Amino acid sequence: MKIKKILVANRGEIALRVLKTAKEMGIKVVTVYAEDDKALPHALFADESYSLGLGALSETYLNKNKLIEIAKKSQVDAIHPGYGFLSENADFARLVESSGFIFIGPTAESIVLMGDKIGSKNALEKIKIPMIPGYHGDDQSVENLAKKSKEIGFPVLIKASAGGGGKGMRIVHKEAELTEAIRGAKSEALKAFSNDKVLIEKYVVNPRHIEVQLMSDTHGNHLHFFERECSIQRRYQKIVEETPAPQMSQELRLKICETAVQISSGINYRGAGTIEFILAPDGHYYFLEMNTRLQVEHPVTEMVTGYDLVKFQILVAQGDKLSVKQSEIMQKGQAIECRIYAEDPDNDFMPSIGKIEKIGVPTLRDVRLDCGFLDGTEVGVNYDPMLAKLIVWGENREVAISKSIQSLDEVLFLGVKTNRDYLKRILGHKKFIAGQTHTHFIPDNKEDLAPKELAPAEIAAMIAGLCFNEQKPQSFQDKPGSVTNPWLELVGFRNV
Amino acid sequence: MEKKFILNGTDIVVKDFKQSAQSLTFNYEGKTYCFDLVTKEDHVVILDDGQKFKATVGSANKDGESIVMVKGREAKISYAGQRIKKHKTHAGGLTSPMPGKIFKILKELGSEVKKGEPILILEAMKMEHSICSDKDGKVKKISYKVGELVQSGVTLAEVE
Repeated sequence: MKIKKILVANRGEIALRVLKTAKEMGIKVVTVYAEDDKALPHALFADESYSLGLGALSETYLNKNKLIEIAKKSQVDAIHPGYGFLSENADFARLVESSGFIFIGPTAESIVLMGDKIGSKNALEKIKIPMIPGYHGDDQSVENLAKKSKEIGFPVLIKASAGGGGKGMRIVHKEAELTEAIRGAKSEALKAFSNDKVLIEKYVVNPRHIEVQLMSDTHGNHLHFFERECSIQRRYQKIVEETPAPQMSQELRLKICETAVQISSGINYRGAGTIEFILAPDGHYYFLEMNTRLQVEHPVTEMVTGYDLVKFQILVAQGDKLSVKQSEIMQKGQAIECRIYAEDPDNDFMPSIGKIEKIGVPTLRDVRLDCGFLDGTEVGVNYDPMLAKLIVWGENREVAISKSIQSLDEVLFLGVKTNRDYLKRILGHKKFIAGQTHTHFIPDNKEDLAPKELAPAEIAAMIAGLCFNEQKPQSFQDKPGSVTNPWLELVGFRNV
Repeated sequence: MEKKFILNGTDIVVKDFKQSAQSLTFNYEGKTYCFDLVTKEDHVVILDDGQKFKATVGSANKDGESIVMVKGREAKISYAGQRIKKHKTHAGGLTSPMPGKIFKILKELGSEVKKGEPILILEAMKMEHSICSDKDGKVKKISYKVGELVQSGVTLAEVE
């Protein structure tokens, strides 16, 4: 069946991302929006858009029944869940299919299998995928978890079994910290995923986070689109991602990618997926988790391989065969993504909110800004504080870094505090430039990443900016927003 | 003429300040700066100091502060005279760093707390933020209940 109309069950930049590809394919798009999002572009620029009302997320973007109702009313063929929200919710995937729509994603069985960190590890151990030492069992008592932690040896990592995005995750360096860490992890896990089951793992010192992009069709073709390096993280969330991974031999690269394909073919996966690995400094790598959806950072893969991953998602969802062969997929140049957040990196990454007065536009070639906001729209407390993703391609890594730093200057979000300057400090750091990345890069280089003092010339230029901005044309200053019609004035003149 | 500005909370004094519609000169830290206005539109001012550059200036907030961005650097700036005094922080008061919801209260009224010990947890932007005591003492006041929404800058608890 050919998909002619899609409902995007998401918001912001990812809803727009799906919209772009669908438009290219001649597919109509229906979007949804919570009332506090009604001025955002995803609510404005689709073929049709429907309100989800106002209230908690469970009433809006997570409201499965309301989404299905809208899908029926607007007569779509398929539903794209984006990332986050319901994208890895097996019940939703089942409901979509039982309601007669195509789910643009994997089967509910794959989501269940890979969504449970414990279940997925058990399944993958059977097909000889390298696993990190840990405890994934059902005895969740604090006593047992403490005993297992000691057996594995400190430091250990405690994390939510059903987790993602760093929620319910704790690193424990010594036994004394254990009880509080288990309690904290369980509490966060319960709140975020309605499930307080946690697992414990050996904690690798200075690991790199390497992931592999996969795409599978329903005809037994399982492809990889190479790796991404996503080690630069704050609060366990990625903020800089790139591909190809620097400082990695071609031999290791291919080995990791092949391991990832073993997983997708081993579980007979369908659609886009990502295998995340921990790469230890000695070259050993371990399966971390599988994300059964499109990733936030998928654009870097698109930039270096030249393929549209959303297009593949739609094609395989309608049952088409993947038209490319593994040998045709190549990495060309380097792509870097910077996640621009509404936050203050120099104040413990505190999220910020406010009205975006103006969004800057990147001007260099091969630069993409995936952004879900417009000038004049608000960043509120109800959603993730990511404002946009800046994705930059360069013929090599040096060029990509330099272009990224220049583009970060351009893409301002006037009105909200952002991490742009901080991202520039990361990209300009000598260890980043040398490709010496690992997941503690940010805390380990805290001092180097502190803000530089403004130079006197910069201060002078800021004063000049303020002084000239204050000067407003007289007529506008008197009557803000009013425009005088000269013909009316002329009429008035004649009547005097 | 001397003129004062406040940049990121610090006083900045410039001397020999002269401004016309199209140009501006002043002396800052012993150096004379000359800027010409090339063009201005919306929030963007194009200036020329021998090398053209763009300054982007946001609307002033209620404290009279504007965000100014030049060459990738951002700062909060205001005229020293215009700036309205900052919200005062109460002695011993722990204020909300951002708007959010009270997720959990960990300490009871009157209980002993150590400096750095969490008193309550604020939830905002899908994250939990611990509000920790700024000194050793007793919890004197907890201003909100679990589930209540709070604005940025309000006092959440007091320790004495």
